[in-house]
Amino acid sequence: MKEMAETKPPAAGIRGWQIALLAVILGLIILFYKGLWGNPSYIPPVLVGTAAPEITAPDLYQPKEVSLSQFRGKVVVLNFWASWCQECKLEHQNLLAIQKRFAQNPNFVLLGVNYQDKEDLAREYLQEHGNNFEHIRDVKGRISIDYGVYGVPETFVIDQNGMIRHKQIGPIIGETYTFLVERMIEPLLNGTATAS
Amino acid sequence: MIIELGHFAVITALILAVVGIFSPIVGLKRREAVWVEVGKQAVTLNFVLISIGMLAMEYSYLVQDYSVRYVYATSNSKLPLFYKVAGLWGGHEGSLLLWSWILSFFCMLAARIHWKTQPAVMPYLIGMQSTVMTGFLLLILFLSNPFERIFPVPLEGRDLNPLLQDPAMVMHPPFLYLGYVGLSIPFSFAMAALFSGRLGEEWIKATQRWTLMAWLCLTIGILMGGYWAYYELGWGGYWGWDPVENAAFMPWLVATAFLHSVMVQETRKMFKVWNLFLIILAFSLSLIGTFLVRSGILSSVHSFAADPGRGVFILGFLSFMLFLSFGTLIFRSAKLKSQIEMDSVLSREAIFLFNNLFFLVAMVTVFIGTLYPLLTEAMQFKKVSVGPPYYNTVFMPVALGLVFLMGIGPYIPWRKASVQNLKELFLMPGLMALGGLAFFAFAGIRNSYALAGLTVVCFVATAIFSDFAKIASFWAKREQISPIQGFVTAYKKNPRRLSGILTHIGVLVMVIGIIFSTIYQTEKVLIMKPGEETGLGSYRIKLIRLYGAQGGNWEGQEALFNVYKGETLLTQLRPQKRFYTVSQTPTTETAIHQIYTGHIFLTIPEVAPDGSWARVRALHNPLVLWVWYGGGIMGLGVILNIFRKTRMKISAARPETAPEVAVSLPRSAREEVLHHRSNRWQTLLNAVWPGRKEV
Repeated sequence: MKEMAETKPPAAGIRGWQIALLAVILGLIILFYKGLWGNPSYIPPVLVGTAAPEITAPDLYQPKEVSLSQFRGKVVVLNFWASWCQECKLEHQNLLAIQKRFAQNPNFVLLGVNYQDKEDLAREYLQEHGNNFEHIRDVKGRISIDYGVYGVPETFVIDQNGMIRHKQIGPIIGETYTFLVERMIEPLLNGTATAS
Repeated sequence: MIIELGHFAVITALILAVVGIFSPIVGLKRREAVWVEVGKQAVTLNFVLISIGMLAMEYSYLVQDYSVRYVYATSNSKLPLFYKVAGLWGGHEGSLLLWSWILSFFCMLAARIHWKTQPAVMPYLIGMQSTVMTGFLLLILFLSNPFERIFPVPLEGRDLNPLLQDPAMVMHPPFLYLGYVGLSIPFSFAMAALFSGRLGEEWIKATQRWTLMAWLCLTIGILMGGYWAYYELGWGGYWGWDPVENAAFMPWLVATAFLHSVMVQETRKMFKVWNLFLIILAFSLSLIGTFLVRSGILSSVHSFAADPGRGVFILGFLSFMLFLSFGTLIFRSAKLKSQIEMDSVLSREAIFLFNNLFFLVAMVTVFIGTLYPLLTEAMQFKKVSVGPPYYNTVFMPVALGLVFLMGIGPYIPWRKASVQNLKELFLMPGLMALGGLAFFAFAGIRNSYALAGLTVVCFVATAIFSDFAKIASFWAKREQISPIQGFVTAYKKNPRRLSGILTHIGVLVMVIGIIFSTIYQTEKVLIMKPGEETGLGSYRIKLIRLYGAQGGNWEGQEALFNVYKGETLLTQLRPQKRFYTVSQTPTTETAIHQIYTGHIFLTIPEVAPDGSWARVRALHNPLVLWVWYGGGIMGLGVILNIFRKTRMKISAARPETAPEVAVSLPRSAREEVLHHRSNRWQTLLNAVWPGRKEV
């Protein structure tokens, strides 16, 4: 604005801010026009096939920081959940089952990310529904932004090289569960996975 | 028959709106005032005609004429009378009609109020308003017609959306529209200023009350929407950063920036282009908001049915308005240059500059957040989540900065502040802020946002009240009266400033409410059987029993809870789970008990079919009412500001505006502007027509 106040009289013709303003308006209109033909509830399958953003976050139970890089070389299943989320309850027993199934494998980690929640409520939730794996707290919502979480539950599968191989939106139940366990986690652990 | 009359009236209104666009243009071209007069009559008649359209629709609601498709879709014979009347704005078509009705009313009002005092603005005002009007009437008549009939005639209406069957929700859209549409008047004045080249302070002074009124209505509308969300949607919050909330919030932010920055132009003749830009932006954002909401381009709890045809039309109209207004700004602003440059960063004008930048950054933050889904779709960006975490991280620091500036801006001197000034003004608030920080940290507040917020509140409150003490004692000493009378005198001397400060106090109250009700909220979600109880902070709630309940157009279950503090029974609460039979929609009805200025808030989102258990959501929201009390104080400040007495002496002589007019008009024309008495129309049209030789 200061620029505006100080710019020279009209002789120069159109100035930079004017062009910028026009460009913004034009861009907006194009964006709106494109948007009209899109589906507002479409969620782009971003991030799959790219490196998983680093995470450093406090553990839900112990006073320590957990980072994703400490699991490098392992298959990490990242599950975003919250105590207020109804659908999370549907998949919770399945999560416990996944952990139970792969607990023996030193190369497997299931990590819960507690999203938009209060600490005591999260603990109460786990106490009520059972727990056998580690959880971290997304205190500032930073992790959810990095991973593009639209809502909970969402689950990411990260391979030994730190690449995101799969993203699951919604609860892991029924066929989704079978797919996740037999087609994603097992092949990755056995080193027989093909690019998805 | 009546409905056809209304339909016909609105069709005629469209024709008159087109007349309203062209007759002032002809008047300017031919320099004949009578054509502008025609425009004035056209907008007046327009109001009458659209009123007939409104009345015809309301009549159909009262007699429940389901042969009108829109009435069928939004009403029902079992609905209480109040909601039958309000059904008109319960959907897309009718709310557009309400929009245009308000627009026609304001346009008529502005043309009549300012006809004598602002003759030079009239042709542009009428032309611009009629342009907006034409766009909306075209949309109504061709793509969203509420007057349409259906055959065969249904026996019963589909019912108004149960979520909208609520007093706050009934008043929320009209207030928002009053705000959106109210902005169109200062917008038209700004466009008139640009077209005619009369870019002094006159348009700002003339539209001050319009802007304040629009801002007030927008604020009331937003707060009502928040209150509705709070107790009707039952999630215990009042603001969810939903695209439609944002659509109302963005014009509000820019209008707030505008209300502040005009003061710099009035006092220091700076920010001229900037002010024009802000008001054009504010109104454009309300149009963009309308587009976002009506086209179904974003998914939101509010969206109306998506219809690409409608979307394309609104987008076309929106693009036309954007290019027209910003284009004019760009090509006409070349003549503008502030004569005065900023002297120092430590001055009131600089603080206003920061204020404006912060508001704009806040707006851009919300804008990007709102459009993010569109952007990601268009460009396949990587980071895609834009929910409350994004807004809390990006918006909150800006908001905090703005609150902080409230403690500086009104007190720092214009031009340049000396170190001595700064010390006098801000040493005390600074110390109080530090004291407050220590106190709250000691009191056990650990959340960094809460601490920062409360520290800033301490700073600003001290700045405000030490200034009050200063002016009160100044007048008390000078007039030999008590400090309280001194304060009253101070208010009478400068009502604008002090009512503005009252609005600031309201903001502080609201900030305190927001901090406590969000950060110190206690929440419990659990399944309870009758006889069970749970603790909620220092309170206990006990589910006594669950039973069936029903109302006129719904049936459902109700739960009876006892709320205790210690062993004392405080109250009994009865939240409900309703099922609206006609529209087949479930809702949760909140039960609230007020404790001081906080709430115990209970909902039962889920009840077992056999009534053996219920999922209970219990919240304790401390100080939550402060949010709306603060809003009330803000509103009061603005109402005082709108109805304050204008100081006639100053405005009559206009020592400040005279040189300004001299810049843009030849001397003879200036005489006319200032003393328009006889034949002013003809002379003015000659004088201000932009095609003439000037400057």
